[in-house]
Amino acid sequence: MFYLKVLEITSLYTILVLGVYLMTGLTGLFSLGQGGFVSIGAYTAAIAFMKLNLPFPVALMMAVVMGAVLGFLIGIPTLRLRRDYFLLVTFCLGEMVRAALLYLAQLTGGALGMAGMPRKVGLPLILISIVFITFILYSLKRSRFGRDCIAVRDDELAASMMGINVFAHKMKVFIISSAITAYGGALYAFNILFIEPNLFNWLESGRLIIITFVGGLNSIAGVIITSAIYYSFGEFFRFIDVWRDVLLALVVILVVIFRPGGLFQGLELLPQKLLSRTERK
Amino acid sequence: MKINLILQQLLNGISLGGVYALMAVGFGLIFNVLKFSNFSHGGVVAICAYFGYFISQHVYPNFIVTLILTAIVGGFIGVIIEKLIFRPIRLKGAPLTLFLVNSITAAMLVQQFFAVMWGDNYYPYPEFIKETAIHIGEFTVSKIYLLMLSISAFVLLILSYILRKTKIGIAIRAASSDIRTPSLMGINIDFVISTAFFFAGILGGVTGYLLGMAFTVDPFIGSMILKGIIAAIIGGMGSLGGGVVAGLLLGVAESLLIAEIGASLTPIVIYASIILLLLIRPEGISGKGYIVKA
Repeated sequence: MFYLKVLEITSLYTILVLGVYLMTGLTGLFSLGQGGFVSIGAYTAAIAFMKLNLPFPVALMMAVVMGAVLGFLIGIPTLRLRRDYFLLVTFCLGEMVRAALLYLAQLTGGALGMAGMPRKVGLPLILISIVFITFILYSLKRSRFGRDCIAVRDDELAASMMGINVFAHKMKVFIISSAITAYGGALYAFNILFIEPNLFNWLESGRLIIITFVGGLNSIAGVIITSAIYYSFGEFFRFIDVWRDVLLALVVILVVIFRPGGLFQGLELLPQKLLSRTERK
Repeated sequence: MKINLILQQLLNGISLGGVYALMAVGFGLIFNVLKFSNFSHGGVVAICAYFGYFISQHVYPNFIVTLILTAIVGGFIGVIIEKLIFRPIRLKGAPLTLFLVNSITAAMLVQQFFAVMWGDNYYPYPEFIKETAIHIGEFTVSKIYLLMLSISAFVLLILSYILRKTKIGIAIRAASSDIRTPSLMGINIDFVISTAFFFAGILGGVTGYLLGMAFTVDPFIGSMILKGIIAAIIGGMGSLGGGVVAGLLLGVAESLLIAEIGASLTPIVIYASIILLLLIRPEGISGKGYIVKA
């Protein structure tokens, strides 16, 4: 039971990490406001279900749509600018969502948070979601669109000279990523059954980015492995749990200095690759 | 609102804005030279807030001495951060995103470290001033706020003198406009960058001390850097003067808004107006454009 719970929490966070990976890995955008999208997703789903009495699948859909719309709105002013602005505006967004949730206490319960959601999300749904999202990410990465995005990530100026519409590409990726993150938030609300505005602050968002970088910008498998290790680590090593973030930060700095491609470089665990490796032997 | 209440809030806002301006300049100094958002500045602020508390409470409770000491320590922390974290990747010619990752990580490292070590308590600075307020007619002016304002102004004036008149200041400005050319002119660019971090660290030290003195010290004091970064955005990234003006504006706007619509709505209004500002005028107040070079 305990291990099941750990697995559930780890998988929930992995969905969030995948959302960040899509954005940072494909277009090199940094968002410190992912927490905002998580909260938006969680609260939208919870409010739709509890206050508006909508069925659960509809509530999930609403969370996804809200995340995408918010991503679109934030993207319009910021994605044309330098990446620093995007980072800082998403930072502001995260804090703004937090303040707004605290302010709208009648709807959201304010600082007391929201509880009393029925447990609608179990491990199977989360794992299926992960597989599905990974499949989407992988197909995107392999498609023409994904390769264009990676070109944008590596050199924006050169990419735009090659005729890639940088703004449109960034916008699409950002919208998809926001939707995934909001979806993760909605799953979170119906699995943990308690949400509050301070659950995801900018540090949590920063952690998601950092995990992406440790795992490696070119490696979906690496990112998933890293996130699984990081989020289950605390549960198994309670005695040094408080030092977890300090350790992570040190590891990150070392990785960035000595292995800038990430811990797993470009590794991808794919069926056909594993097969071909055995055949060669 | 009554007119003297407004004036009162204006004065409080300007004093708070002075500290925001300090942060914005410390942040902008590094942005100018290396062109990345230096979140680790918040780490320097936090370390110095704790250091200032420790030294003034336990070692030597004198305001001026401890302030200067904290500022110098802040400067050296800035240099250490540069040497340990940013120099290795700079020499490798890493992309800007890695600088960002490292600076965010450093901020996180400091915050979590303090949260684990001393996060269970609040640490107040000693009372340097016995009588905390001056009464001028109907006004009540907090002495601590006056002190904050005068110190911020003093530090910023000195910095502006250094940047304009001294050799190293001119070198920093040269590196700000183009980092490659000065090294061809026989300027030791590593030294210039270290010095820029030293100055930024001094500003961070003063900021940390003043924030710790005005509020209390807790691990999340580094998050106050957010206000400095916002001021830097409003002022226009890369313009130190714009950052100062924007810092003051932000401080005033914040205290007036808090008095008028309450503390819970204020952050929403401020963040929303920043997003709007970026939509209308991304180059900020100063209008200094930033050109992407190939």
